[in-house]
Amino acid sequence: MKNVIIGQYIPGSSFFYHIDPRTKIIAVVVLMVATFLLETIWQVLIGFGIALILIIAGRVPIRKIVKGLKPLYVLLLFTLVFQIAFNRVGTIVLDATMQISPFSILFMIAATIIWRLLASFKKFSLLLFFAYLVGLFFIMKNLAFSPLWTTWQLTIYDQGLIMSGFVIIRLLIIITLSTVLTLTTKPTELTQGLESLLRPLKAIGLNSEDFALIISISLRYIPTILDEANKIMNAQASRGADFAEGRLKDKVVQVISLLVPMFIIAFKRSEELADAMESRNFVPGKPRTRIHDLKFNYRDLITTVITVLCLAGSILVKVL
Amino acid sequence: MGIQFKEVSFQYPGWGKQFFEALKDISLTINDKDEFIALVGETGSGKSTLAQHMNALIFPTSGTVEINGVPITAKRNKKIKYNSIRQQIGLVFQFPEYQLFEETVEKDIMFGPKNFRVPEEEAREMAKKALNMVGLSDKYLTRNPFNLSGGEKKRVSIAGILAMNPKILILDEPTSGLDPAGKKLLMNLFKSIQKETGKTIIIITHDMDLVYEYTNRVLVLNEGMLEFDGTPDYLFHRHDIDKWHLDYPATISVLRAINDKFRYNLDIYQKTIDAAVSTIAKAVQS
Amino acid sequence: MSYIDIQNINFAYHPKRPILQNLSLSIDKGQWIAILGHNGSGKSTLAKAIIGLLEPDFGTIDIDGMTLSPTTVYEIRKKIGIVFQNPDNQFVGVTVRDDIAFGMENLGVPQAEMLEKIDFYAEKVGMKAFLDKEPAELSGGQKQRVAIAGILAMQMDAIIFDEATSMLDPTARRELMDYIRELHNEGLTIIMITHDIEEALWAQRLVIIKDGTVFRQGTREELLKEPVTFIEAGLELPVGLQISNALKQMNALSLELEEHLWESSLKK
Repeated sequence: MKNVIIGQYIPGSSFFYHIDPRTKIIAVVVLMVATFLLETIWQVLIGFGIALILIIAGRVPIRKIVKGLKPLYVLLLFTLVFQIAFNRVGTIVLDATMQISPFSILFMIAATIIWRLLASFKKFSLLLFFAYLVGLFFIMKNLAFSPLWTTWQLTIYDQGLIMSGFVIIRLLIIITLSTVLTLTTKPTELTQGLESLLRPLKAIGLNSEDFALIISISLRYIPTILDEANKIMNAQASRGADFAEGRLKDKVVQVISLLVPMFIIAFKRSEELADAMESRNFVPGKPRTRIHDLKFNYRDLITTVITVLCLAGSILVKVL
Repeated sequence: MGIQFKEVSFQYPGWGKQFFEALKDISLTINDKDEFIALVGETGSGKSTLAQHMNALIFPTSGTVEINGVPITAKRNKKIKYNSIRQQIGLVFQFPEYQLFEETVEKDIMFGPKNFRVPEEEAREMAKKALNMVGLSDKYLTRNPFNLSGGEKKRVSIAGILAMNPKILILDEPTSGLDPAGKKLLMNLFKSIQKETGKTIIIITHDMDLVYEYTNRVLVLNEGMLEFDGTPDYLFHRHDIDKWHLDYPATISVLRAINDKFRYNLDIYQKTIDAAVSTIAKAVQS
Repeated sequence: MSYIDIQNINFAYHPKRPILQNLSLSIDKGQWIAILGHNGSGKSTLAKAIIGLLEPDFGTIDIDGMTLSPTTVYEIRKKIGIVFQNPDNQFVGVTVRDDIAFGMENLGVPQAEMLEKIDFYAEKVGMKAFLDKEPAELSGGQKQRVAIAGILAMQMDAIIFDEATSMLDPTARRELMDYIRELHNEGLTIIMITHDIEEALWAQRLVIIKDGTVFRQGTREELLKEPVTFIEAGLELPVGLQISNALKQMNALSLELEEHLWESSLKK
């Protein structure tokens, strides 16, 4: 039937898969901290190089990581524009007069249309977008003719470019690290790792075992609930609830027609689940043994060593 | 008019290039009058997927489903009002819990008609009529649907679809979870609705006794393929239906066992217990 | 002394509408008993009372010589397991392995022993190849078998099946019934709660529940002699027996035919 898998985990057997989740979580956090200690573009580039080597060595599909970046394109673009527009430090690398005229506006509209038409080639969407930006720049700089309506000066300083590169690469490293973690660690292992790491918090009254159980049961029921939501939606669509085209006035009732059954079923499920757990001798707060045991091995040692070296390196460059 | 499947296939998306082929090259025609159809096959054979194609809840991956003359293909067509198709083809899901949500039975049944812009008063009238059709009296109108028994909930959910006055009524496992009395009541209800209104009724079921006694056409699905389309008599005269994971109706099995054991020559194709009894009685007395 | 001894229990959510009324019942160790009744007769409430998921308003339940009470309930749940109706709502683990382990984890079974038992009982219910599968990838019948493996791994004496087959298709249902018979042959006490008489007839002893109390009980042969009992309780006999009874009333039933119809309707 339909395959609903939660999280981004993809099965595999490389080095990363055999590291204890606790080591992985700590390593990722430490490496992120290390990344924030770096101060120059060269340092982050080296950091990024190390991250790339790790990805390749761990046979993590780069395609998946690029996919994970998608929601952040806007942020990356904003960083770029912001740094270029407002950073006024260093030497000028570009100083161009941008001109707006009826012609340049026409050309820009044409460029936009061409860009949108080509947008169906999804594979190159990012490339096309950059080509579009360059095209706009070229039009404003060279294809204005007369009459000019307005002109403005685009000045780019080298530090602006370097800073935006720095910020973007730092972001890339952080995203790469967290993606590697979620790609190579099962959700169950992640919760277990978290549980184990949160155990000392018992002192302040947080029972990490119950916490982990809640997370793992939630994970287990997400596909079931999604499937059910889909069925309820279909059942109400069969009664004419039109979630796509309906009037706003009707939509309120239609949303209620989804939420009420979902809540009622979820409530009934939680009751039945509680009965099932109780009948299998579950007593909240009582110590349990665990089927999955987290064990450190030589891989964890290697990971720890690499992580510590990276941290030490970044502290070193900061201090020196 | 009615529903025509033309070489319809459907795939559920899966991992990477893998997918699950739920329907394979299905062609069939369903009239919108006077049919009582059973859709059978083991779990995962594609029955529910096929049913959801019939009111455009899902779209074929390839091929065309023509619903009352409107072609449904893989591509959504902005000119087609899919919603009005769903008014003509009523689909009742297996669990009434999926659709009941209002505080009163009346309001809940009115939900469908109101979605199709039927005026309040008229919708109220339709709700009442639909409720009576499923054998519940007017005093149920003010009841809270969540306080009803399982069988009553089921009937209210069916009324919720009937109130839209669809030409074809599809029911996904309407008798599952009901006790024998509840089952019989519901099946007789469908039979009388079918007789009185001439609507085509399609039930998805695992119960061959019901298939044999009530329906006049059977569609057998197995691994996404339409393996058989014909009368229940033709189906149960075959000797190879176990390859589609189907059982014989109890009357046929019992009579066949008697023939085998006592070397009688009874006509084993009896749709009801009464008919089976009189067949045996006649043979014994002669 | 019976293994389970229920004395005059009463239960109601609302005093005006009792669900169980003066219900008494005893079940011997190793017996296969079917508790039969139509929807709403109170049979599932009885199941919940036996494993202490709800407490009777009055009356007592003794299990293996212990009286059920808030202090003994945990001991009793180590002896009796229950498989519920909805396969999805009792699957706690993220994978088959985790789910079989759940009960043992609660009992504090050491890890090495758990791993051994999981392998053994998964093999026994035919789910060994599925140990790493998630519930979304399993059929209803497979989920029910995982539930059984989880109970077996806790070394229970008895299993209650509370309408456990009612959400399964006929093939899965038959498989589960065959499997329950195997468990019974190995000495487990089986308590089947059902409204399906075909299923109930697999048991040695039938108890018909009506309006929250025991309406009739006895061996299946005893009860089937009075077919009217079942009709009064809102139940329907298997087709073969219905035919047999109708023929008998018409005086058109030979002894051999009666014997044959009975034999084929009562599965051993």
